[in-house]
Amino acid sequence: MDRSTLSRRRFLGLAAAGAAAALGLPLLRDIPSVAEGRPGARYALVIDTTRCTGCGACIEACRLRNHLPEGVSYIRRIVKGNSRNPWFLMIQCQHCANPPCATVCPTNATYRREDGVVLIDERLCVGCRYCMQACPYQARVFDEERGVADKCWLCLPWVLGGGLPACVEACIPGARFFGRADDPSSGVAQLIASGRAKPLHPEFGTEPSILSYIIEEE
Amino acid sequence: MQTAWGWLPAIYLFLGGMGAGALMVAATFEFYGKRYQYDFCPTALVGATVSGPLVILGTILLIFDLGAGLREPWRILYMFTHFSSVMTWGVWLLTLFIPVSMVYGFLEYLDSFPAAREWLRARQWLGWTKFLWILPLRRTKRVFAGIGVVLAVGVAIYTGILLSAVGPAIPFWSTRVLPFIPIPMMPVLFLVSALSTGLGLTVDLAATLAVGPMEQRVKSLPWIHMAFIGVETLLLGMLLITALVDGGSAAQSAREIIAGSHAVVFWVLIVIPGFIFPFVVHAYAAGLGRHSLVSGVGSGIGIVVAGLFLRYLILVSGIPAAL
Repeated sequence: MDRSTLSRRRFLGLAAAGAAAALGLPLLRDIPSVAEGRPGARYALVIDTTRCTGCGACIEACRLRNHLPEGVSYIRRIVKGNSRNPWFLMIQCQHCANPPCATVCPTNATYRREDGVVLIDERLCVGCRYCMQACPYQARVFDEERGVADKCWLCLPWVLGGGLPACVEACIPGARFFGRADDPSSGVAQLIASGRAKPLHPEFGTEPSILSYIIEEE
Repeated sequence: MQTAWGWLPAIYLFLGGMGAGALMVAATFEFYGKRYQYDFCPTALVGATVSGPLVILGTILLIFDLGAGLREPWRILYMFTHFSSVMTWGVWLLTLFIPVSMVYGFLEYLDSFPAAREWLRARQWLGWTKFLWILPLRRTKRVFAGIGVVLAVGVAIYTGILLSAVGPAIPFWSTRVLPFIPIPMMPVLFLVSALSTGLGLTVDLAATLAVGPMEQRVKSLPWIHMAFIGVETLLLGMLLITALVDGGSAAQSAREIIAGSHAVVFWVLIVIPGFIFPFVVHAYAAGLGRHSLVSGVGSGIGIVVAGLFLRYLILVSGIPAAL
């Protein structure tokens, strides 16, 4: 065996390793930190704006559970109506079935689980902020410390363990309802079936699949 | 007002556009033979040699703007993987454009300076490149110019599609060409602006400084310039009118630009230096056949500065859809 074949073999070997590494990169996400546990589950979170007092307990609870810095939360409050008769729209990730954030993400870091929860694999996120621009609900925040995009993840480890998202636990006026949409006897499934709870801004075409709102027509 | 993208993206969208535009101008001079009318063509030389470095600078700024890309640079490789993202197209286009434009610039440099060619040929340590010297220089250069033009159009258009692809999130960025034509305006506007800033840089600025007013060499240049300014004015007008007709936050963006918080940037830093002043200068040159050094350099600087502020204006005036 002469030297040229050796080096060619070595080169081919390196190339193959490189290709395997490149193909393997997107597979990183298949090692989620949360256990897959509830097959067939589809979650729903209904926010009743007629009950919401805008107190912001959900905002703070979200911040504390997710160890976010002061003033940062996955939930944002929008004041609607007029000064005499205001009402509050709490915005967080709507977990769309057709998420534009995932479409525009150049690294495939944002993905949607089978149960409808949209997650960010922060090991893939390069921090370009394109997803923040593409989200019509402006539901994303930027983690300055780690340089990646961040958003509501429905407190997935708690939910998979049978618990509740922090915002639902903390809601003082009981304006947040959480449950399984695939169980017709659950409260949220009935709210959705009755047509009272509706997705926010369906005209965006993103098909929010977990969040829906009860809004009194003005 | 969106706050995720500020000055840094504005600068790299501008540099990408101007670099691509400069290459397009140089290649046009190459393919139409204007390059060979005189011994030395500063427009083709500057256009070809500057386009690569400009786009490289823009790409470096892009990487600096990435939150995690600097800390863990291998993550940048992931950006090549997701083809539904316009940013992935852009990363591919930049990756292909940079080497092609650098080779084209290098060949144009060798073609422009025979002394550099001879110097390079005499280097002992470059002996292993001997086989390259049998290639016909100009024909090889043309191949790279041709591939470069295709990629340059891609780069220029991509900077616009990047914005229009956010769809309903920021309605102003996805404004259509006209209310009833479902083509986004930004890619069109950014392509024309890329060509216009490329012309400003290579013809008005570089060539005027190097050999005096280019209009003495190419009689139709003032008309071409005026046509470009006219088309760009038309496109900007259509953008603002369509945005106003659309209503909502797109109309709010347009109002902020015309007479609101961004009006100073729009009128003083874009319309006057980039549209009115160059148009008057070139109309004067076309009518009287006279073109001074100051007006050439002035309109070049004006067009380039206006191109930068146009990117900035479009970015900062993006207002997210109301919820």
